[in-house]
Amino acid sequence: MTAGAGDFIKASVSVRLGIEQSFRLFTEQIDQWWRRGPRYRNGGPDSGLIHLEPRLDGRVFESSKSGQGERVFEIGRIVEWSPPARLAFTWRNSVFADDEMTLVEVDFTSQGASTLVTVVHRGWAAIRPDHPARHGMQIPAFQRSLGVWWGDQLSSLRSLGK
Amino acid sequence: MTRAGGVFAALADPTRRGVIEALVNSPRTPGELASALAVSPQALSRHLRHLRRVGLVQAANRENDARVLEYRIRPAALRPLRGWLDRVEALWEKQLSSFRDFAERDR
Repeated sequence: MTAGAGDFIKASVSVRLGIEQSFRLFTEQIDQWWRRGPRYRNGGPDSGLIHLEPRLDGRVFESSKSGQGERVFEIGRIVEWSPPARLAFTWRNSVFADDEMTLVEVDFTSQGASTLVTVVHRGWAAIRPDHPARHGMQIPAFQRSLGVWWGDQLSSLRSLGK
Repeated sequence: MTRAGGVFAALADPTRRGVIEALVNSPRTPGELASALAVSPQALSRHLRHLRRVGLVQAANRENDARVLEYRIRPAALRPLRGWLDRVEALWEKQLSSFRDFAERDR
């Protein structure tokens, strides 16, 4: 895991394209590059299509066709939309409780002719498979406090007697 | 529930997080913990039981005074949790390399 990580993970890749084009391909053609198969998509054996509505509060969702018509699973909503530098969306897995969510932030940074794309997926410490109720705290505040707490604590805890 | 799920659940409670924070630097007795966190001994004992059950803390007699029971952190309990995050990270790394391959294809 990335050094200094608390309750978040971070992954990045450098793409040999300009920032505008990288952002556009990432968002507009998400279904083209999003990996297929059950580890990445919920849509059963045929895998659903991934959609991203390119605006604030747009949905990120998966749709799949079955005998009963179209089935839609909403992964989350766009909570930050700042092309071509950044977007963020909430993220739910199909196994999460209704009020559980995490946050995915994607940053695009120019590096000469290339673009560095960085994903930070945070909020995992707030996911409690067995306890959906959360002490009456607002979810974002709860996730923030717990996220910071993890960041602070994990480095201390890791240094304890290995 | 998975082991990581149990650890997350245990730490979702602010008092139990307080216990872990208080134990980061040194072992403490239940009495010390109760007064540091301003909770009743009964409430503290319930939280300690929860933390023990998921393996985050363990109780042992103090080295130089066997009459004193003290609690310490078990860092090993955090391993499954880190393993879970490692898997999330691996999935995103695969997604991003797939994005790069797609973006750089024929351009």
